[in-house]
Amino acid sequence: MKDEYSARLISNRKLNEESSILTFFCPDIAVAAKPGQFVNISCSNLLKRPFGICSADPESGLFSIGVREVGEGTREIREFLPDRRVDVLGPLGNTFPIDDADRLIFVGGGTGVYPLFFALSQAVKRSIPAISVCGFRCVGDTCMIDEFRNCSDRFLVSTDNGDMGIHGNVLDALSGISDSELNQSTIITVGPEIMMKNVAEWAFDRGLPCFVSLERRMACGIGMCLVCTCKIKKVGSDDQFENKRCCADGPVFDAREVLW
Amino acid sequence: MVSIHTDVGSVSLASPLIIASGTCNFGRELSEYISFDRIGGICSKGLTLAPRAGNEGCRVAETPSGMLNSVGLQNPGVDYFIANDLAFMASLNTRVIVNVAGHCADDYIEMASRLNQHTDQIDAIELNLSCPNVKEGCMIIGSSPSQIRELVSNVRSVTSVPLWVKLTPNVTSIAQTALAAQEGGADAVVAINTLLGMAIDIRTRRPVLRNNTGGLSGPAIKPVALRMVNECYRVLDIPVIGCGGISNETDVLEFMIAGASAVEIGTSVLIHPTIPLQIAGNLEEYAEKNRIELSDIVGTLELWG
Repeated sequence: MKDEYSARLISNRKLNEESSILTFFCPDIAVAAKPGQFVNISCSNLLKRPFGICSADPESGLFSIGVREVGEGTREIREFLPDRRVDVLGPLGNTFPIDDADRLIFVGGGTGVYPLFFALSQAVKRSIPAISVCGFRCVGDTCMIDEFRNCSDRFLVSTDNGDMGIHGNVLDALSGISDSELNQSTIITVGPEIMMKNVAEWAFDRGLPCFVSLERRMACGIGMCLVCTCKIKKVGSDDQFENKRCCADGPVFDAREVLW
Repeated sequence: MVSIHTDVGSVSLASPLIIASGTCNFGRELSEYISFDRIGGICSKGLTLAPRAGNEGCRVAETPSGMLNSVGLQNPGVDYFIANDLAFMASLNTRVIVNVAGHCADDYIEMASRLNQHTDQIDAIELNLSCPNVKEGCMIIGSSPSQIRELVSNVRSVTSVPLWVKLTPNVTSIAQTALAAQEGGADAVVAINTLLGMAIDIRTRRPVLRNNTGGLSGPAIKPVALRMVNECYRVLDIPVIGCGGISNETDVLEFMIAGASAVEIGTSVLIHPTIPLQIAGNLEEYAEKNRIELSDIVGTLELWG
């Protein structure tokens, strides 16, 4: 049987003005978690908040999430102190199809970098060559730069205002990757929806498979309430869609199936 | 020997805890978290005659001690349900309640007729006369005592399965709509479905929900639900099933004292999928400690004079 766990906060590390990495002790989740999955974490408000898993270590029983302050719940969670216990459901949702890939290109924006880092760590373990591209608004907004740089075969960073790395967005950064590097690559992208849509089109134009992780407001997180639906194309159709559950059928979808 | 068994008319329940419609789909996901042998029953997702895609998103907004949803009855249709989901629900070792929602009165009659072919797997049909998230049927019918009376009576004539009528709180007098359900031949009423509400994003000056409005559920509505359960209980001869913001055993006891023979829990299951079993355990403890049959407290509320 699955269960709801009580996880203990081990550390809360501030990354920048808006974001922090929270590490929890919860062996059940640390053992089971796979890249692409998320956890649902309780706060004082009624509903739990979903966060992509950033790392999980079965040996230490630790897992981590990246939290960006976007509202009341995330503001409170960012202030959680070590030793605090939280109710957690997880790991939830499906996974990135990493193990089938010959080469990987990870494209992250904003909070998308957290679940992507878990995927990158897995690629390193499997010795799958990986290029990472991360886009941010400005240097003050960046996070996990060193981690991505250390784990990727090649790492590109872009900022909208140009104060770090490539001046522009992730598509500008992607243009710096040669055809030979793209060959046989699978693209995995997580970030703002417009960014993922553009990356998916870029990948489609080059005949590369692309997977995205969608984000929706959720309630249960386990597929019961149907509030977090995404429009996913019916097989063989470009405009007919069905409402799939982001939490249980996703959050990872083949970009070709997403009706943006 | 104390017990937490309870009866809703002819339907006997292992406990007063029923999982509310729309909060557990058809039970598959929840069955990964709990076994159902101490759960009184499970209500299916609201079904319509034809499949429905539901409303555009955003479909959820959190509010103080509650949540708004505007799912809009996304479901695979009653025939798909009968072919693919009913047997699973019947295998859960709990009572199966099938929730049906129509665009019009004929839809309810047609669905009840089709479900009547499967009486071995269905313990009750719950007529959803209260969904606030669709433009036709449901709450429109459920706001009119005369339409309720006629609809329930017509459905009654096509099925032998016990009929529960889920009532909307969005009316002037729930006692009148409850009485109309009883007069039409309902075996029980369920009070209450969600309260119609709105959430606004001050940045966009738009409603948070793409449907503009949605149904409010959770602890925020419990006092309203308790009052309405008691109003129904005082005028009805048939049982009342309480629903609205129940999150713990004290809530269950309050609803039963107000007159509920059983209760439906929904929003709290979305948040804590194992909560029904915790509540069942706590109710058993309460019954044991107080040496009572839980069903003995139903309707024991003494109003101040």
